[in-house]
Amino acid sequence: MTPLRLIERLLQLVPVLLGISVIVFAMMALTPGDPVQIMLGDSLSNEAQKESLRRDMGLDLPVAERFVRFLGNAVTGNFGLSFFHRRPVGEIILERLPATIELTLVSLLIAILVAIPLGVIAAVRRDSLLDRLATVGSMLGVSMPGFWFGILLILLFAVQLHWLPVSGRIGFGQEVPAVTRFVLVDALIAGRLDSFLDALRHILMPAVTLGLGMAALLMRVTRTAMVEALAQDYVVFAEAKGLSRARVIGRHALKNALIPTVTVAAIETGSLLGGNMIVETVFGWPGLGRLVVEAIFTRNYPLVQAAVLLYAVTYVFLNFLADLLYTVLNPKVRL
Amino acid sequence: MTHAVSRVLLAAAIGLVGSAAGAAELRVGYSADITTLDPANHRSRVTEGLILNLYDALLARTDDMKIVPELAESWKQIDATTYEFVLRKGVKFHSGSEMTADDVKFTFDRLVKDGAMGGQTSPRKSLLGPLKDTSVVNPTTVRFHLAEPWPILAAYLPFQQVVSKAFVEKVGTPAMATQADGTGPFKLVDWRRGDSIILERFDGYYGGSPDLAPVGKAGVDRVVFKIIPESASRVAALLAGEVDLIDELPVHSIKQIEANPRTKVLATNGTRSFFIPMNNTRPPFNDARVRLAANLAVDRKLIIDRVLSGLATPLNGLLSPESYGFNANLPSLALDVDRAKKLLAEAGHPNGVEATLDVANAFKDVAEAVASQLTRAGIRTKVQLWEQTTLSQTWAKPETNGRDMVFQSWGDGALDPVGIFVPVLKGKDRGNYSGYANKDVDALLTSADTEVDVAKRSKMYQDAQAIVAKDTPLIFLWLPQDVYGASARLKNWRPSPRGVVKLHDARVD
Repeated sequence: MTPLRLIERLLQLVPVLLGISVIVFAMMALTPGDPVQIMLGDSLSNEAQKESLRRDMGLDLPVAERFVRFLGNAVTGNFGLSFFHRRPVGEIILERLPATIELTLVSLLIAILVAIPLGVIAAVRRDSLLDRLATVGSMLGVSMPGFWFGILLILLFAVQLHWLPVSGRIGFGQEVPAVTRFVLVDALIAGRLDSFLDALRHILMPAVTLGLGMAALLMRVTRTAMVEALAQDYVVFAEAKGLSRARVIGRHALKNALIPTVTVAAIETGSLLGGNMIVETVFGWPGLGRLVVEAIFTRNYPLVQAAVLLYAVTYVFLNFLADLLYTVLNPKVRL
Repeated sequence: MTHAVSRVLLAAAIGLVGSAAGAAELRVGYSADITTLDPANHRSRVTEGLILNLYDALLARTDDMKIVPELAESWKQIDATTYEFVLRKGVKFHSGSEMTADDVKFTFDRLVKDGAMGGQTSPRKSLLGPLKDTSVVNPTTVRFHLAEPWPILAAYLPFQQVVSKAFVEKVGTPAMATQADGTGPFKLVDWRRGDSIILERFDGYYGGSPDLAPVGKAGVDRVVFKIIPESASRVAALLAGEVDLIDELPVHSIKQIEANPRTKVLATNGTRSFFIPMNNTRPPFNDARVRLAANLAVDRKLIIDRVLSGLATPLNGLLSPESYGFNANLPSLALDVDRAKKLLAEAGHPNGVEATLDVANAFKDVAEAVASQLTRAGIRTKVQLWEQTTLSQTWAKPETNGRDMVFQSWGDGALDPVGIFVPVLKGKDRGNYSGYANKDVDALLTSADTEVDVAKRSKMYQDAQAIVAKDTPLIFLWLPQDVYGASARLKNWRPSPRGVVKLHDARVD
């Protein structure tokens, strides 16, 4: 891809982000509920207190002016102060982001490791018992609510068997110095195998819960694409050439079948961020999703706006990444 | 010689290992993360509950809600608008400096002066009513100056924790959100945002209020608050032995926790009353007879036993029986369906009335139980679900919202009528969803606001309750208990009626 194309793609981001800013801002402004009232709750208050809070939150300004200020500040990376934490929103989001990214990546890894081999086997051994089991399993995986599945895992592996911890990222006493803020990576940097394994035990249940739906979906996509690819002329030709079965499946069929899988995986990674909200709550995972849900309920406008923009940028970026991967998998595709 | 040295070393090593293994650590499964560690920069009970482990206040509350001195040694009223506090000597901040009158003045200036928190104004300012200034008399004496008489100053001082002037000036208000230097029984080790807050015993602790036994240092070496927002996961963590104490134990898990030999249920009266405002500004509930009928139609005891596992106290009025100014002689509102039907007929509704009960999702179950009982007595009630914030906004103006009834609650940690009776029942006040406005009640409440004589003020509130009991603008319901789950190894900790988890007394086996 030429640098010019890259710049063009990046420029396309601008109207997307602007549009999203307008929508999020308007939605928050139009949703009933007053953050000042929510903050004060039932306890003693008076008009002077409400006014000073409104001023501190910047809510004393007209909506249009608030929006212009928000845009102007957002361009410089300043998203304002969280209404309730009374600290910069950027700082708060950055504190929570590594946990969410780590969980998402591990879920993605689990999903891919489970889905692609199963999808290939199901396609190659079509209508076998294994294929049927995998299909039924993926139906279950797609339709099972993450919340419920997570609680079931906790009851079995934490409460009954005591194998895995209920919540958190790492056990107390296993802490490692924060370098990348990805606990698994930091444990390796510190050379602490025990901490790494402990962090792995902590992330296992949330990652499986989060990755389950994705694994099921990817498996179905891979299977369909593989079935299609295996029926193509070039596969028949490759077989006729006398290439080994493994080589035909691996090099010829799978490589082409992976294109839709990669697209779905990239787009679904974005939705993993959304799914995080539930999984993070169930497993007490200190990520961004939980923070955003709380922020929506408490009408914490600056936090919600910044987080939604971040989600949007992530989505666009992942789609871009999917496009790049196409060109690797299929050199005929040009960006 | 070498032998002796190695023996000493060995003994030291064993001693170290022994003390590390024997360190008493208490883990708490906490339902929400705190928003800040700055005692002056929040309005959240969850946050305050944690901060109370790090910071002490001038005054404190006993378990039976008596106000006692904490960082103050004594206090007295000088005149209608001046109070004097003598401070305890030898109280140390975690950083080692001694607390003086300057710190107290700085703390309260920061709370009540506009823009005193790095340009912003404390959200806790109005919790100090008309307090306008604090002056230092000598290093151990401060005076509070009020703009007008405010009899409940002492009741609200346990909500304000004293900070160190030197520390705040050194780190600045933004850093106060994540750092702490208090006078409390524990000091901060680490706050891992969204995950946990780790505290350890402060060995320089002065011991706490002499009126709150046991006096002395904290009973455990380390406390870990683990944030576990989902209640099923919190219960699971307790059952799995990962935590020793959880807050907000859901009612449906009580049996499970009670049945397990390693866990127990702890409960205390909460400070949040539940009630149903009827829209007094429009038919059918503008008729006092219909409102009384609704009150007589509800079987509080049955709902408490069946839906709330018995963990609530039925109310004939708005106030908790533990509140200052509680009137114990209000007429009973025990179930009487026949009388309710008769009252409806007298009010011109022999065939009953139709009504809608608005409720936020969280309280759907109890609201439906109440609705079915109202329906049985002839007030045919449909339940409508709302999102909490939208609901509050709709009911802020009952005279124009066209609605009938709403399921509401109001919390008041100070247990003074000013914090609950006034906002809910004074005409046009901020929590008055019923639209009730009674001149005599309003006059009594206004006088009580500035009445300094404790007995006279109490009498005013009791009279106001008697009038409200005749008008029954609300369906009075109950006062739920705050329910905690604990492991059997947790000793010496009782839930506080203030609804905060202060762990100074707690021990673990």
